Amino acid sequence: MSQELGSLLSKKLESESINGEIINLEPLTGGASKEIWKFEVKLKDKSEKYILRRGSGIEGPLVIKTSDEALIQKTVRKLGALVPEIISVSSLSEPLGDSYIMKFVEGETIARKILRDTEYKNALLNLAFECGESIAKIHQTDIAELSFLPKKTVKEQLSDLYETYTLFNQPSPVFEYTYLWLKEQNFGEIDDALVHGDFRLGNIIVSQDGLQSIIDWELAHVGNPLQDLGWICGNSWRFGNTDKVVGGFGNLEDLLDGYNSVSEYQVDPETVKAWQVFGTFRWGVICLIQASAHLNGTINSVEKAAIGRRVSETEIDIVDLLFLGGR
Amino acid sequence: MIFDKPDSVELLDAVNHFLNEKIKDEVPPHLVFKLRIVENVLNIVSREIALGEKLSREVINDLRKLIEADTANIKDLALLIKEEKVDLQNEDLKNLLVKLSKNKITIDNPNYSTFKKLVD
Repeated sequence: MSQELGSLLSKKLESESINGEIINLEPLTGGASKEIWKFEVKLKDKSEKYILRRGSGIEGPLVIKTSDEALIQKTVRKLGALVPEIISVSSLSEPLGDSYIMKFVEGETIARKILRDTEYKNALLNLAFECGESIAKIHQTDIAELSFLPKKTVKEQLSDLYETYTLFNQPSPVFEYTYLWLKEQNFGEIDDALVHGDFRLGNIIVSQDGLQSIIDWELAHVGNPLQDLGWICGNSWRFGNTDKVVGGFGNLEDLLDGYNSVSEYQVDPETVKAWQVFGTFRWGVICLIQASAHLNGTINSVEKAAIGRRVSETEIDIVDLLFLGGR
Repeated sequence: MIFDKPDSVELLDAVNHFLNEKIKDEVPPHLVFKLRIVENVLNIVSREIALGEKLSREVINDLRKLIEADTANIKDLALLIKEEKVDLQNEDLKNLLVKLSKNKITIDNPNYSTFKKLVD
């Protein structure tokens, strides 16, 4: 498979005037739904590192085309936001499939390494502020250039999530309660912005110097951008460091200081809490969607099967937030 | 049960031990993560066989007391909440939702941080 992929990559890069031998092609542990390959192109006197991100063509309902992710990265990069440089984009009908090639960015994405390894200790101190700043910048993107993105109000998103949950015919008393609670919340009077949709450790590249890049745009859409702030505060993305509300590494105050230093719209902690519950419910529904791909026979995957039993993580997080004083 | 030893939990433990001790160091790096998922899945099955019945029963008993219905199940509770036929501020309801969530995570992932925090 690697050899065949290597020759496809080589041809694609030739069309971008990058001519060289493809070496060190290796799969990276990526998300559950996309392939990620790292490789180098051997040029005359040096070699350049790249990443191939490739969709399977059978992603779930919330996921955009991989080639569209590349277009978003190109657009936000023009604003000066931290994203890797896109080198080449391939559509589903091309030999390489729905995918893109981007420059490799040095740093780490694996959450547990970032949180545990001493080399990132200093970077973590300022990371929540940096995340706030960077995501606020992304939220200022002119969405006119991204008309292909799905656009949803909070209300629509919430009822979509609820309807999706009901499709799986696995009634959850906690989710029913959550839906009623969420319908009563204030999510902030801001709309029609680019939302990353999966902004958290795992989808950012961190080096010793701090935040380097924001990647994995597959859940991007247009809507109320404060969703990104609640998402990164979800306990699912704290990787065991429950007392560090932001991503397992930072404080909410720092995240909001960073955000509010860039954003005209000033965000308060209560709004983030509403989004945190929303995000936790959303992650629960995404778990259901992922598991259903296995359960309905689309794909036989132990990963997707296992994720069905992670719905209960979101339920315990929600009851903690709603009834037990959780943060 | 008419079956011989090892029982299902013991068989699963043996498989898990095999994966952990013999296979883990042999798999390529990009499959280590998947192997961990396989081990987690086996542990879920093992815990469900050992404790699933008891933990389900506890919740169902509380549920039937709360809504005073002898045959009610989780689906009925979900529907009552959906239709707001129970008082959403009722502390017994909240406690039941907490217990349901705790009992589910006890099987699915007892190391989950929120559960550990709540149990400590």
